[in-house]
Amino acid sequence: MAETGATASRNRRTLILLLAPLTILLGVFFLIPLGIMVVYSFLEPGLYGGVEWNWYPYNYGRLIGWPLNDYEVFDPIYLKIFLNSLQIALMTVAGTLLLSYPAAFWVASMKGPRKSLVLFLVALPFFANMLVRIYAWLLLLRPTGFLSTLLESTGLIIEPLDLLFTNFSVIVGMVYVLTPFMFLPIYANVEKLDYSLVRASRDLGATNVQTLWRIILPLTAPGIIGGSVIVFIPALGNFIVPSLLGGSKVQMTGNLIERSFLQSRDWPFGAALALLIMAFVVVLFSLQFSRQSKSEGQGTR
Amino acid sequence: MFERIMSSKGWWRLFQAYGLVFLIFLYLPLALIFVYSFNANPINMAVWTEFTFDWYKTIFFGAGTAGSFDAAFTESPDRIFEVVRNSAIVALSASTISTVIGTATAIAIRRYDFVGKKVYQALLVLPMIVPDIVLGIALLIFFVGAGFELSLLTVIIGHTTFLSSYVFVVVSARLAGMDMSLERASADLGAGPLTTFRRVTLPQIMPGVVGGFLLAFIISLDDVVITYFIAGVGSQTLPLFILAMMRRGLRPQINALAILLLSFTFTVAAIGLYLRSRKS
Repeated sequence: MAETGATASRNRRTLILLLAPLTILLGVFFLIPLGIMVVYSFLEPGLYGGVEWNWYPYNYGRLIGWPLNDYEVFDPIYLKIFLNSLQIALMTVAGTLLLSYPAAFWVASMKGPRKSLVLFLVALPFFANMLVRIYAWLLLLRPTGFLSTLLESTGLIIEPLDLLFTNFSVIVGMVYVLTPFMFLPIYANVEKLDYSLVRASRDLGATNVQTLWRIILPLTAPGIIGGSVIVFIPALGNFIVPSLLGGSKVQMTGNLIERSFLQSRDWPFGAALALLIMAFVVVLFSLQFSRQSKSEGQGTR
Repeated sequence: MFERIMSSKGWWRLFQAYGLVFLIFLYLPLALIFVYSFNANPINMAVWTEFTFDWYKTIFFGAGTAGSFDAAFTESPDRIFEVVRNSAIVALSASTISTVIGTATAIAIRRYDFVGKKVYQALLVLPMIVPDIVLGIALLIFFVGAGFELSLLTVIIGHTTFLSSYVFVVVSARLAGMDMSLERASADLGAGPLTTFRRVTLPQIMPGVVGGFLLAFIISLDDVVITYFIAGVGSQTLPLFILAMMRRGLRPQINALAILLLSFTFTVAAIGLYLRSRKS
């Protein structure tokens, strides 16, 4: 079917018309702001907030050990906080994975309306406000909260139990908030699992553990990796969970960013911290992307 | 199938029990808020005194009208009304605009091929990948630098930017299953582009468009992090208000407010999930 010149130019016009709004929106309010943030991270912080337009690599220097001058000593506190954030994010990934993996098999083993109902029930908390979900854990974990009161009334403990403001409480909150992100990709993967391979493995005399380790885990790896990436990223940059469940005792990079923007007004340093998190995001996603396209390439072979 | 994998009855039972534990883990914390929201004890929620609707009443009518709670335990209903109104304005405008923009983009991507399409598509999903906090501060720097006053408008702009990506993804999924030859047939039979869109394309993708709108609406309504950075003094939304309440100390009124918000979002989400299940 040969297209005439008139239709081709009309098509082009429609295409431009349809794409223009989002292109302009993303260009002006997404790409340019990100670009400005990159520029800011190399500028000198102004004395009263704002920036001085001078080349100033020491925002990154403060982070990775490259002091401003001979009088300044490198303080590894920011690096420590970043490493703690990494640790919390990794523990969150582990927690959500341990919870979601068996649950995905549980849901996949169901049939009919019961399965739809349970899937609905698992998906629903995903839409609950994040603050409300964190708030629930404040009620559970604080010294006058549900757990402590319950344990006291049974006589198991005498002193009120304070579980708040520890790495543990932050991880619990993060796991609770991010579990749906892990469950859904794993479930999508488990749902498509080819059980004939599992049966073959058992028929050939493999033990349960061998079947799990050599057959089921590799087959569900894409779901595990996908879920881990999309749990890790929001966990790493989170500041709401640590500020509510971690108080002043647990600091994450997100809290540092928030503070440098809204309190100490050192915007360039905050921008540098944000870019450090972005670097992780970019690396993780390009790894994930190249892995995905590689496995697609194998599929068509 | 699974009975065979779980060779022994004991393992199978354990597996089922675990499933229940998982559901309890998901719902027990929320159920706790629900129960506490009816507890009259103004000092310690974990100690039950008696059943009351008063915390809900204080949200609508203020402290004086309900029970003996003094104003120290509650926020004024005017203030609550103001932040709810702000949230409604932001969520409705941002999700409406992003539904139009996201749908237009999805149709263009499905219908036409052009140079650099792959890269363009990657750009479209980028706002969903960038962490909220990065998006929030980037917008803050931009708005302040460009001389915008932080207001409901900046919040709407910020939400629309990343919500358009969500709508694009949802509508694209729907379009992927659509038969494009119908559009061509309609055009060949002499229908104009608008008629074709209204009578052929839109009816087919409607579940996706509605689903995208509902998703955008909920995300906008629930957003804390991005709004936190780009809302001004007079443009506090409901989640920011709840955050401020939580930081001042846990008062029982938060329970009632949280349950009202939760009931609303769950209803919207349930409609969305129902529409999606009907579509497939």
